[in-house]
Amino acid sequence: MNDGASYQELSRRYGFAPKPESASRLTQLVSRQDADLDEITKVIDKDPTLRTRLLRVANPEAENEAEYAIETVEDALMRNGMGCVLVLAMSTPLAQALVKTFQTMLSLQLESIDPRTATPLAGEHLLGTIGFSGKVVGHVFLRMSIDTGRGIAAGILGLPPEELQDINEVRDVAGELLNIMTGNFKSNLCDAGLECKLSPPEVRSTSDFSMAASRGSSIEQMAFRSGGIQLFVDVTANPWSDD
Amino acid sequence: MATKILSVDDSRTIRMIVGRTFKSYDCQVCEAGNGEEGLAAAAREKPDLIILDVTMPVMDGVTMLGKLKEDPELKTIPVIMLTAESGRDNVLQIAKLGVRDYLVKPFKEEQLIEKAGRIVPLVKRPAA
Repeated sequence: MNDGASYQELSRRYGFAPKPESASRLTQLVSRQDADLDEITKVIDKDPTLRTRLLRVANPEAENEAEYAIETVEDALMRNGMGCVLVLAMSTPLAQALVKTFQTMLSLQLESIDPRTATPLAGEHLLGTIGFSGKVVGHVFLRMSIDTGRGIAAGILGLPPEELQDINEVRDVAGELLNIMTGNFKSNLCDAGLECKLSPPEVRSTSDFSMAASRGSSIEQMAFRSGGIQLFVDVTANPWSDD
Repeated sequence: MATKILSVDDSRTIRMIVGRTFKSYDCQVCEAGNGEEGLAAAAREKPDLIILDVTMPVMDGVTMLGKLKEDPELKTIPVIMLTAESGRDNVLQIAKLGVRDYLVKPFKEEQLIEKAGRIVPLVKRPAA
């Protein structure tokens, strides 16, 4: 039974890993509708990875950095608003959970890569989707080739890939990967006062994927690689819904 | 007598991992796919330990934990939460209902063994 322990005490007792500082700070800042742009700019400017990702989100049409029309954090925030910061704050724990899942469950080091340099998925592939609603509304998509999905599922379940012929088992593992990723970012959002609910994961095979972002939504596309494995994660978010 | 462990998770993947984790120990692992099935399995099997997810269809883990703690015959069964959610409100609510430990996904099998081993006896099976 809880002896009136605080969250910090319980975190220590249960051995929770510390949450990513810049993502928590950013989520807290962006959760206020009167968010201070200067403070947000400082947090992003201090973190080169966040800065790179924000400029990529702010310049979705650019093929490379030389084509960026928006070159500073301040400019990106002024032109794109808080939605693009929120999507960054959400994607950070999500990406960290994905990398940690590969480290702990597969002993594989996933490397984050520029999605523009990744080889696009061709033909039928696996598409996992989780929706979230509440103070923030949007979707998380996880995409990978069927062979990659089979390899990951075999690794996580401890089976030889050739024994894994049932595509439903591969889908179940992909769904659990999505659950782990989104559970981590949901905790981060809820702790910042952005209460939201997750839909159950849905995984299917498709050869046709396109993201239809609603008006005011921001999108971050991420890609990860480890050896022959390549994964795509896309996040769309629209903050401050009244749902 | 084998230690009886009940794994309650809507993900077959996690239930398989939990089963594999305890395979080399003298344990009998039974499974349920949601809180409602979990309560029925707990009443039927009287496990020594329950490993419980939070977000599940039909009945979630927090509701199942609350009902478990209201049942005089089941309330003393120790519970380890195994979930990807470690938000402040969730953790405080779950701790208030009463859990022995909390493990955040992703996890290593050794972490689950270590946490379970603090609560129930885990005896290695002799090598075949």
